[in-house]
Amino acid sequence: MSSRYDAIVIGGGPNGLTTATLLAKAGRRVVVLERRDQLGGVASSDEFHPGYRSAGLLHDTSSLRRWVVDKLELKKFGLEFHRHSTPVLIPQKEGPGYLHFREPDKAKHEISVRSKSDARNYKDFRRFIRRVSPTMRRVFDEFPPDLAGNELRDLWQLGRKAASLRLLGKKDMMEVLRVAPMSVADWVEEWFDSEILRAAIAAPAVTHGYTGPWSPGTSFNLLLSETQAQPSVKGGPAALVRALASAATAAGVEIRTGSRVVRLNILDSAVSGVTLENGETLEASTVAASCHPQHLFLQLIPANLLSLDFEKEISCYRSRGTAAKVNLALSEYPTFNGRPDAEPMMIRTGTSINDLERAFDAVKYRDFSNEPMLEIYVPTLEDSSLAPPGHHVFSVLVHWVPYDLEGGWTDDAKVRLLETVLDNVSVYSSGLRNALVGVEVQTPVDLETEYGLTGGHLYQGEHAIDQMLSRPTHHCNRYSTPFAGLFLCGSGSHPGGGLTCAPGALAIEAITDRNGATAAESSR
Amino acid sequence: MTRPNYDAVIIGAGHNGLICAAYLAKAGHKVLVLERRHLLGGAAVSEEVFPGFTFSVLSYVVSLLRPSIIRDLDLPAHGLELIPLETSFVPHVDGPGLCRWSDDAMSREEISRFSARDADTYPEFALTMTRAARFARSIIDSNAPNPASLDPRELLGLLRLGRSIQAEGAEFVDLQTKLLTMSAVDYLERWFESDALIAPMSVSGIIGTFLGVRSPSTAYVLLHHYMGEIDGAFRSWGFSKGGTGGVSLACASAAESYGAEIRIEAPVEKVLLENGRAQGVVLENGDEIAAKIVISNCDPRRTFLSLVGEDELDSDFVGQIRRYKYRGSSGKVNLAVDRLPVFPGRQGSAHLRGDIAIAPSVDYLERAYDEAKYGEFSKRPYINVVIPSVLDPSVAPPGQHVVSCFVQYAPYHLEAGADTWPLRREEFGDTVVETLAEYCPGFEDSILHRQVITPWDMEQEYGLTEGNIFQGELSLEQLLFQRPTAGWSRYATPIKDLWMCGSGTHPGGGIMGASGQLAAKSILDSGDL
Repeated sequence: MSSRYDAIVIGGGPNGLTTATLLAKAGRRVVVLERRDQLGGVASSDEFHPGYRSAGLLHDTSSLRRWVVDKLELKKFGLEFHRHSTPVLIPQKEGPGYLHFREPDKAKHEISVRSKSDARNYKDFRRFIRRVSPTMRRVFDEFPPDLAGNELRDLWQLGRKAASLRLLGKKDMMEVLRVAPMSVADWVEEWFDSEILRAAIAAPAVTHGYTGPWSPGTSFNLLLSETQAQPSVKGGPAALVRALASAATAAGVEIRTGSRVVRLNILDSAVSGVTLENGETLEASTVAASCHPQHLFLQLIPANLLSLDFEKEISCYRSRGTAAKVNLALSEYPTFNGRPDAEPMMIRTGTSINDLERAFDAVKYRDFSNEPMLEIYVPTLEDSSLAPPGHHVFSVLVHWVPYDLEGGWTDDAKVRLLETVLDNVSVYSSGLRNALVGVEVQTPVDLETEYGLTGGHLYQGEHAIDQMLSRPTHHCNRYSTPFAGLFLCGSGSHPGGGLTCAPGALAIEAITDRNGATAAESSR
Repeated sequence: MTRPNYDAVIIGAGHNGLICAAYLAKAGHKVLVLERRHLLGGAAVSEEVFPGFTFSVLSYVVSLLRPSIIRDLDLPAHGLELIPLETSFVPHVDGPGLCRWSDDAMSREEISRFSARDADTYPEFALTMTRAARFARSIIDSNAPNPASLDPRELLGLLRLGRSIQAEGAEFVDLQTKLLTMSAVDYLERWFESDALIAPMSVSGIIGTFLGVRSPSTAYVLLHHYMGEIDGAFRSWGFSKGGTGGVSLACASAAESYGAEIRIEAPVEKVLLENGRAQGVVLENGDEIAAKIVISNCDPRRTFLSLVGEDELDSDFVGQIRRYKYRGSSGKVNLAVDRLPVFPGRQGSAHLRGDIAIAPSVDYLERAYDEAKYGEFSKRPYINVVIPSVLDPSVAPPGQHVVSCFVQYAPYHLEAGADTWPLRREEFGDTVVETLAEYCPGFEDSILHRQVITPWDMEQEYGLTEGNIFQGELSLEQLLFQRPTAGWSRYATPIKDLWMCGSGTHPGGGIMGASGQLAAKSILDSGDL
């Protein structure tokens, strides 16, 4: 049994759906193959306890690219954004905690309580970020240049990137070059006195590398995330997936869930289709893979088809997952210390740079800390359909948790992780355990098994500078692969992970030429 | 003020100051070098601390001393004699450890006891690194490129640099990026599987830094080990006969042979300024010495905040100098012993003819760093031991030996404050001896004398701010065109006629001498003399 398509997209996450929709809009017959029973990949909302749905493994939608939203016309399909960035509560053991707003005028009050000069500096910090944002976006949100290409077009592209850096003006350009290789701890220390503010700003820079705040190069990640951040999607990841799925369906994309690809079929170095777990074969001269690049090259493609050099590079791609996911079903919102009347939607633990660094330290020795850093999102505050009326869900990302836990991820180890999380949340929210109705724990190993994320890495590979400049490896950093018709389009390709949809949208430029024809079509 | 007596006065007789002096004097200029201490050499100094025992007090191996300097200044004729290190030995508590030899076949045999695959990869790794090092070498041998300049010559230089990298191909671009940004351990794990090999190889990335072997950006210094070989001088890694001070003495002798004058016990209080120009210096005893130009071999903080004074500088620049990071992370313990240490499982002394690293595993090294991050010295530190008396008997009485221990991490900023170091000094010394005794039972009984130098002592006695042995962290944001700050990486300063020549300038660090040499070239090219 065999079916023929113009293009097959492996993976029904945000990037896969983006690529599929754009291909369908260009007139292709496209099928999306999702291994799980529902769409969404790392953004998928699942019923983890009867009557309670999770938010998605990744739950921060603030890096979703607006240019992709426009290209897919997602607003037509119900996508809406918050007007302002969602503030994040950094709770304290004693005291009211710190509520971190991105917008400086909103942040002013909370910061000045701690330090007047920090409030002023925060304004300047945001100004700096605003000034360098267009350049950072240009460098990281466009099709990656060919660093070693000798064609005039490559040189022109490289020149344009270099020129855009210079457009910043000498002072800002030098500052970007100075700051990028620094540790985020050093950078925020230059700006701010308040430890809790430093931690609040630094945390997003360190969660998806194998890094703590004292690791050099983490300022680069802060630059990237800050220059991309915008108000998040109303309704969270679930709403994003709904809009993406509707857009795909409207464009004519065929969606097949529960369809796990087990093999890529390759003939004379060209892709000819895929084989599913049930033995079914689908044919297409174009295959776009939004799955993890190591899963693609090391699991789905017969080993003897890769050159030694290619195989070595892709094997060395660093994808050490350091986050676990814990979902908590709660009968009510357990309020936080010192904030009895507030129900913040985002909460993150860690009141100092060293708190974060200590939480990271353990993972190097294949263990997790007794005080991990927790990123908590409460999706039920903006989508009450995820839980029974009045009930809530805490979607908790736990950093840093090793893939290679000493002794392995036994049931006991999972219980220890859960108890650690509950203990730590309870420190700030004493009513937590009383409200607890159900739980789900997913270790990095579970994430690998369930979602095909090699190493359990939620961003399909660490955000380290070398892996951001040339992602995943220099052999295939521009979406195309050694196999004709096979393309990357997931978080393991430029410009990396998170709910951005950017790799999925940029990959289209490699898959189709300027006239919108795929390589296979042009050669016909 | 009267007519200057000197063309140039140099503050500090470290190896860079002396090399700079020698080049200027050789070009026919009248040069005076002023040294605060009673001995020449700065951090490259030999002292007979205990009768009969000459210690290389701080810097203990000569690394990457530029071959062009040795040639230009004819240093061998001035007494420089370098003795190459022959081995690199890592003892283990539970076995004979791993020794790498100058003979490749012997090294491979040792490595194969841990991993046959690693033994096979070892030569291939060396080849790749040598190729990459060729490129890095061109960077330490020339002025730092300046990406902010609009000068067409600069842009052309940058373009050429870019093209030369690009011409090597995508793989090479990728390799350089990885070396610059990855951690030493991550980079080595691309090649090797054996922890026993990766650990000692990774430590070259952390020497003198406040980083761990798993910290990003520590891979680059791995290249330094391969640079020596392409310099055509295997001896660029070695001991100097009579201790590290021998390098300084040879440089001083060369400088004097060209007519330079050197004064010891002549501490400088201030740089003399008139109308924003440097005119000379004032000594602590009040003497004024006039000179056309002043060159500081001190680190940037001392140079600008102490010797010049911030009132003379614009606030932006002062901010940059304040921001420049030091954070010394190492200490030194020098021991006089009555016999050679015995490592179980190793006979003879062949394995002692180089460096001995206490670096049994990556976890060990990383834990040492983790303790230091929070302001404590490592309870089980990384120690780099050398016993120069094995190769150079002149530094110890017959049958006795000098054991030099470079110890990391000893953070300058202890949790309780840097000034609590004097209270912890002996405890720190004990930690080092106890650690060594774990690998070398009975070692403590062989000790006749002990000298413990904490980062606090390095600052107080040797003028190394915050005890940083490189006059400032060698982190990417403090290298190349940003050393010490953007716009001032070419040895000139915002003060007219004041120049810098120390390790706090490009390329900085180690006994390379490149800073002193490049500074002299810049000064001669400027036409200010």
